[in-house]
Amino acid sequence: MMWHRKSLLSIEDLSPEEIIYILDKAKSLKESKGSKEPIFHSLRGKRIINLFMEPSTRTRVAFEIAAKSLGADTISISGEASSLTKGETLKDTAMNVQALGADAIVIRHSSPGSPLFLSRIVDVPIINAGDGAHEHPSQALLDIYTLREKMGDLRDKKITILGDILFSRVARSNLWGLLKLGAIVTLAGPSTLVPREFEELGARVTYDPEIALEDADAVMLLRIQHERQQASHFPSLTEYANVFGLDSKVLSGMKKNAIILHPGPLNRGVEIESEVADSNQSVILQQVANGIAVRMAILHLCITREESNH
Amino acid sequence: MKQTLLKDFDLLGGTLIDPRSGINKISDLYIRKGKIYHDMPKSGPSPNTHNIDGHVVLPGLLDLRAHNRVPGAGKSESVESLTRAAAKGGFSSILAMPNTNPYSDNPATIRYIQDRIKQTSKIKVYLSGCLTVGSRGESIAPLGSLKDAGVVAVTDCPDTPANNQIFTNAIRYAKMFGLAVLDFPQDSYLSKNSHAHESPLSLKMGLAGNPRMAEEMAVQRALLIARHLGVPIHLSSLSSAGSVQLVKQAKESGIEITADVSAHHLLLTEEKISDYNTSAKTNPPLRQDKDRETLIKGIKDGIIDACNSSHEPYAEHLKDVEFDLAPRGATGLETAALAFIEAMDEKEPFSLVAEKMSYNPHEILGLSVPSLAEGCEADFVVLKANEKWVYDPIDGESLSRNSPMCGYQFSNKIKFTISGGRIAYQYSPNSI
Repeated sequence: MMWHRKSLLSIEDLSPEEIIYILDKAKSLKESKGSKEPIFHSLRGKRIINLFMEPSTRTRVAFEIAAKSLGADTISISGEASSLTKGETLKDTAMNVQALGADAIVIRHSSPGSPLFLSRIVDVPIINAGDGAHEHPSQALLDIYTLREKMGDLRDKKITILGDILFSRVARSNLWGLLKLGAIVTLAGPSTLVPREFEELGARVTYDPEIALEDADAVMLLRIQHERQQASHFPSLTEYANVFGLDSKVLSGMKKNAIILHPGPLNRGVEIESEVADSNQSVILQQVANGIAVRMAILHLCITREESNH
Repeated sequence: MKQTLLKDFDLLGGTLIDPRSGINKISDLYIRKGKIYHDMPKSGPSPNTHNIDGHVVLPGLLDLRAHNRVPGAGKSESVESLTRAAAKGGFSSILAMPNTNPYSDNPATIRYIQDRIKQTSKIKVYLSGCLTVGSRGESIAPLGSLKDAGVVAVTDCPDTPANNQIFTNAIRYAKMFGLAVLDFPQDSYLSKNSHAHESPLSLKMGLAGNPRMAEEMAVQRALLIARHLGVPIHLSSLSSAGSVQLVKQAKESGIEITADVSAHHLLLTEEKISDYNTSAKTNPPLRQDKDRETLIKGIKDGIIDACNSSHEPYAEHLKDVEFDLAPRGATGLETAALAFIEAMDEKEPFSLVAEKMSYNPHEILGLSVPSLAEGCEADFVVLKANEKWVYDPIDGESLSRNSPMCGYQFSNKIKFTISGGRIAYQYSPNSI
């Protein structure tokens, strides 16, 4: 297969083959890390602009490290420091960024669809690093990478995503990616944060954490964004922790080899107890490390659009 | 005055369709001093004569929801461009909405708009005033003074008071002055910050949804108030199948309620926004086929009384932004009448057009209904059936281009709009 896409806007757009292609590329990058293979210079002379209109630590840093590991120069623009706070529109900011000689733009923005909007305005590759509650493709790809690293083929594997699904771009991107690779996806959490309509998109929906977790091969916990939803969507973090928090007691009711993922940042004591986060079953730090290889693959493929040679 | 007063003109050979006047015939129309004659007057033919053989003539259309942007946002739409767009779309009259800046909640603003109308409009513009001050839903607007200044209706469209006491009292008060009350039924809490119909599509697009219930709850409230007060209320721009059912039951139980729907909602569904097209971000949102079909059936069964344009112009830069930052609303004056015909999908749709876009809108506002009968004021639209053309807002009269109908192929075309005895629009092949 050949990689044709200039931009990575969503997982929904991708074919299963394309997903595997990115993951394989990430694997070979991870395995040859530290070697002198030419791919590690494939973006030399390229200028990648990280346009982060929403706060982000690990995604932005991972994209920066990924870009630099391939020889690219990176510049990060954050929402607070940009002209957007002076009334400039995203459209104008993007055209200016392009005029400044960007070879690719990595964008994080609170508006769903904003990477697609950008891709219609500028000619350079656009990498979606999270757009509102729509998608977060690189996060899903690194999650799926980590799952496959631990579990192999995901066909018929049972993956539960637990937490605030309604406002989560991570949940949506993972849902598409996991379904495309044949996994069985259960979405769980408070009924106010897990609309039944997700069943029409191919997921199972349950509000009973026991049912959600008992036969899961992996559980992906999502951060509860309490600053946004408290009062209108659930009563308190304490109640959330009581009903849906993953502690060692809940963990003991799960499959022995079930693994725990979390995209971060963690709310210890809310969706996850410390002893679970730090347990052998947790792969949270592997996710972070894999995030670099996956983002290297994304940047390399979208910017060079290389042909397959293995 | 920009108006070209073509006092007298002749339109020969058109098919007149005006069921209320008992007219359905091929006849010439001789317009003398603004009045209609079917036979050539003794003075002979006018030098301004057009053959409209094979064209359909319908009594003048009135749009119940045209958002005026003056004062406040003349770059999005001037009074002149608003009325030219209306005339191009076949409307000889419009009801201008009061969400101007400042709001049309005071006589001075009304008089300013009236002055602009007098200066630039070729059609009749009826004005609505705010129901509550600044449409904030907190206190009743000076409705008596607004009536004196000339408004024919009051409404907080595209909003509605959240406070039931203020809403009820405002309606009670408005009726004292014989003003028509238009309610835009949308629960402000359930629809807060929403950008699309609540559905699997909005869910996967990551857009906060506007559930059908947001509208149905507000419809139910209006029905209860109409029943309680024993006064008529007009519901503007229904979009949900459930609302049609509620209005049906209310009408059957004798509640004085009328309702309309936008032409967009008869023809389009939420799929239009699936690529984050901000021009299809309407208010209320486009919903699903089930709603569209029920709305069409509601029109045909007489449950929905009228069809409006929901014309909400926004200058290009306001819509050329991220989807959730774009304001809700789409232009519609240039396409509503033709879109209505497309949606009806009938061999003889023209009586329905007369009913839903001429007779009923006039009656809802308490205005006399236009007629094609001899001696009546010339106020009508001439359209050509079976003439295919593709709509592009770039060719339109509106200053804004946020139309979800861009690229749509229509099978009818407006050829003349006659308003108040004068030609307000005449198709010319050069101007498209």
